[in-house]
Amino acid sequence: MNSKQNNKSQDQNAEKLKEIPKWTRKYAQNRTLTSFIVIVITMLIAMVVAVQSYLVVIAFMKGNMILASVCTAVLLAILIFLIIFISKYGGKNRGLIDQRIDQWIYGHEGTASMPEPKLTKKNKWLGFVVAAVVFICIQGSYYLSMEGYIAFKYMQPVSALYLVPFLVLLYFEQRPRVGPLVLICPILYTIHAILIIAGIPIFFTGNWGILNIVLPVFGYTFLAYVIAHVYSRYALKKLKGLTHLEGDTANGD
Amino acid sequence: MEIDKIIHEPARLRIMMILAGLEQADFNFLVTTLGLTRGNLNRHMEKLESAGYLKVKRSFKGKVRNTSYQLTREGSKALARYWENLDAIRRSGQP
Repeated sequence: MNSKQNNKSQDQNAEKLKEIPKWTRKYAQNRTLTSFIVIVITMLIAMVVAVQSYLVVIAFMKGNMILASVCTAVLLAILIFLIIFISKYGGKNRGLIDQRIDQWIYGHEGTASMPEPKLTKKNKWLGFVVAAVVFICIQGSYYLSMEGYIAFKYMQPVSALYLVPFLVLLYFEQRPRVGPLVLICPILYTIHAILIIAGIPIFFTGNWGILNIVLPVFGYTFLAYVIAHVYSRYALKKLKGLTHLEGDTANGD
Repeated sequence: MEIDKIIHEPARLRIMMILAGLEQADFNFLVTTLGLTRGNLNRHMEKLESAGYLKVKRSFKGKVRNTSYQLTREGSKALARYWENLDAIRRSGQP
């Protein structure tokens, strides 16, 4: 009887141990805060450059040459800073900034990484082309909305037609480094579009029109990444439950 | 049917299983996940490395030295073989 119980418990133990790679993978795939912070930094830099450029144009248009000169000088300083930043963290040092942020957030847990997606030359170019097409689509649909060809109400649903496939493609391109939880973003974006079409007034009009795309994209990306991060905490807890050794087993050889 | 004694040790089996789910993991990750002392983990890693089951990559993260481990092809094969043999033994009801 005891021997049977022992065998059963050993079988269960073996089956549990077989789950270790699954939880390790889930943990590593969902360490998403690093990518999120990199995206936020990139967006903040783009926003600062855009706002500064806008100020330069406005100052010149209003004929305020002192303000225009100051704004141009600030814009140049930002661009010089960017060039220095890219020369330090670009090229062969690419990934260094991610590494430092990762160390800052997850350093106390150590590093566990999934294989990088295989990037062939063809894939790389295809990525550039797709990103350029999506960028043109965003600009185009914004322009068409501002000109009145697309009602502000339909700006987000129209953008869903190209952004949702793009985000899904991005997920498949980044596999297995990221897990399927990032798909929460395109799913929520689609639901948002459906709700607008169904008549729910969750959209902006006038000069705030661009927020119809920007807010859902970043809001849902943020949500997806936070959910993934929380899931990584759960996966780590499960993993430690399976791997943590105590007493003699831990200290013996 | 023989069980690989290097893998069969509980800590080493867990190390191999963790690395089987990843491309690579560093020493700190293994220490915190397994709850082993650094010295003990080091001994296990040396054994697995000398068996050819692990590949060690030493680098610097800023000014801090970092050691990462990756399962070799031989290590993956040995782990798969280990489970096959263990399952076969369990099925045949051997102790």
